[in-house]
Amino acid sequence: MSERVVISPTSRQEGHAELVMDVDDEGIVTKGRYFSITPVRGLERMVTGKAPEFAPVMTQRICGVCPIPHTLASVEAMDDSLGIEIPKAARQLRELTLAAHTINSHAIHQFLIAPDVVPEELMVTAINSVSEIRKTVQMVVDIVAGEGIHPSDVRIGGMARNISEIARKRLYARCKQLKPKLDDHVELIIGLVADKGLPEGLGVTNAPTLATDVLYGDRENFDLDRFTEIMPESWYDDPEIGKRACSTIPLYDGRNVEVGPRARLATFGDFKDRGVVAQHVARAVEMKMALSKIIDLLAELDTSAPVMADFEINGTGKLGIGAIEGPRGMDVHMAQVENSKTQFYSCLVPTTWNIPTMGPATEGFHHEFGPHVIRAYDPCLSCATHVIVIDDEDRSILKDEMIRI
Amino acid sequence: MVLGTYKQITLARSTDKQIQKISQDGGIASALLCFALDEKIIDGAVVAGPSEKMWKPMPTVALTSDDILAAAGTKYTLSPNLWMLKEAVRQYGLEKVGIVTIPCQTMGLRKMQSYPIGVRFMADKIALDIGIFCTENFSFESLKTFIQAKAGVDFDLVEKMDIGKGKFWVHTADDVISFPIKETHGYEQNGCKVCLDLVSELSDVSTGSIGAPDDWSAVMTRTDSGETIFSKAVDAGLIETKPMDEGKFGLEMLTKLATSKKEKAMKVIDDRKAMGLPVPFKASNEKEGDPLANV
Ligand SMILES: Cc1cc2nc3c(=O)[nH]c(=O)nc-3n(C[C@H](O)[C@H](O)[C@H](O)COP(=O)(O)OP(=O)(O)OC[C@H]3O[C@@H](n4cnc5c(N)ncnc54)[C@H](O)[C@@H]3O)c2cc1C
Ligand code: SF4
Ligand SMILES: [Fe+2]
Repeated sequence: MSERVVISPTSRQEGHAELVMDVDDEGIVTKGRYFSITPVRGLERMVTGKAPEFAPVMTQRICGVCPIPHTLASVEAMDDSLGIEIPKAARQLRELTLAAHTINSHAIHQFLIAPDVVPEELMVTAINSVSEIRKTVQMVVDIVAGEGIHPSDVRIGGMARNISEIARKRLYARCKQLKPKLDDHVELIIGLVADKGLPEGLGVTNAPTLATDVLYGDRENFDLDRFTEIMPESWYDDPEIGKRACSTIPLYDGRNVEVGPRARLATFGDFKDRGVVAQHVARAVEMKMALSKIIDLLAELDTSAPVMADFEINGTGKLGIGAIEGPRGMDVHMAQVENSKTQFYSCLVPTTWNIPTMGPATEGFHHEFGPHVIRAYDPCLSCATHVIVIDDEDRSILKDEMIRI
Repeated sequence: MVLGTYKQITLARSTDKQIQKISQDGGIASALLCFALDEKIIDGAVVAGPSEKMWKPMPTVALTSDDILAAAGTKYTLSPNLWMLKEAVRQYGLEKVGIVTIPCQTMGLRKMQSYPIGVRFMADKIALDIGIFCTENFSFESLKTFIQAKAGVDFDLVEKMDIGKGKFWVHTADDVISFPIKETHGYEQNGCKVCLDLVSELSDVSTGSIGAPDDWSAVMTRTDSGETIFSKAVDAGLIETKPMDEGKFGLEMLTKLATSKKEKAMKVIDDRKAMGLPVPFKASNEKEGDPLANV
């Protein structure tokens, strides 16, 4: 006899989502469905018709977990629409910002999964390690981007200003000092995840991976023609869930995909493992890659170089694409500027891509493992939500043609 | 106590000939900042540095003694030093910031530290605040206007300005002209009329010329860090001290002027409050304890 296990909301993740699992007599999941129940932000609507500079400022507020990727994707989309080539040093500063944020975000995720994998006696060590890492990398974001949470200095055309030479040297020294600590931390996390003894094959799916770059993001590797989007009603087999789900279902080549650290390592490296453990390992490994990159960038950065391009803000209506590899995966913003105003704006955010893949990933194992599978994706729902519930009673959502906000 | 809480009060001046030459009074502000920088007590300081316009200061992040000395001397117009603090800790990456503030800025600084809204991770990076005395301040245009009108000299020719002995002094290459400070009334910022603080009561160390002979400064150390750094600079021979006169030209004068600034301001505060105008201070009847307290 089939039974239903519902976890609502799923915990230790950003935003609200529901995991609905059909299980058999042994408690094994036969059908998993994961969907967002977070209220819509509607940021894309708010920036349309306004000055292009408003978009990065506004869209960075979509979510407090990954404001940096949204800011970067937004300015990159605007740069592309306006035909701007940013100076080399600006690009380096943007890459620094993202790499530091990635480490910070991954460290927070490790804090969130600590109750799952860290034994009592190591809890304090693990949490101190997370805090120590965050402190240093957040300092990088603070200094390079002007503010750690809502960066003020990432601008269309480049960056508001270069950093000073003392700041560069100081950050370089701090990041070098962090390296052995981060190495230990990564080893600790990978070891603890292995010790947990999760069942072999947990979370493995055959969904293809999608990533545009090793760490930063590259619009050339995102092909808009291969992207389609369907409504939740036509994705979820349960009409009730289809009605309540608050995110559209993005497909690439007509299929649901996986994005994030494991997807990046699989696409651009020879990382073969799949599933929950592999996702945790990939995330940890990526922290080391990001720190090496920060150190290299700080060594190379010319603090006297210009960081702002010369440009006109009028626009030609070209559809600009900004593809940024956020901690949780590819974050694509699209913008069209004409007559100095944003005419069209759309965000295709990381967790949206993962949502249709995450539910099925719980299948084949006991439902007790369901939350582990979900958390391995480090889901963040608030930016994924793109449809609005119009009636709380019957939970129906806004009509298809109106929901593209 | 109209002078705020302090540990010691003394007369002092920098022993450095160069600082003596370019500083406003005893060169305490510059000497202490340079010393703190050398001793790595601070890794930079926000000062009222020069701008393209003569006498119009520009809040500047000073990273060397030269930068600090370039800002010596009082500019009697607004220099929003607090505004530069964020840049000092962000783009400049400073972690131990020194700053020079006039009393209203000292209050703002402490408020920023108590309620760090919009200044995340900045409050903890303020290592030294040197508060300077202030009776009033002027917008750039009013300063220019009254100097040209009252002293009858071209603003571009002014080499030094000073307030002291009840007069506003204007030095040019070959003249020293003065006019009663009373005549500047009406030119000062409106906010100065409700200002209760002459002596930067909340700073780490405060300094000014009132109560000191020419080329010397009155100094009050107020906090542990302020006291430590001042005594270290004295021990290192960078600052010399002599006791302050208790009488008419010393402590008595300072106390008198601090009291009269407070009394005048309290009247205006009470009047404005009575009219229902917003004032960021308590009216006399709203205060518990000291009716002249800077609250
Ligand atoms: C507007 C104003 C009014 C003042 N009124 C009085 C007064 O009535 N009585 C009195 O005794 N003293 C007053 N002072 C203080 C006095 O003029 C000297 O600045 C003080 O004694 C320090 O002198 P010093 O030789 O130690 O400093 P210096 O070594 O010459 O250094 C002066 C420091 O003051 C800073 N500074 C200069 N202009 C400004 C400004 N506009 N805002 C903020 N910081 C500035 C500079 O950054 C520099 O670091 C006033 C200062 C100002 C700015
Ligand atoms: S009198 Fe008070 S308010 Fe006016 S400038 Fe001086 S400290 Fe600031
Ligand atoms: Fe997010």
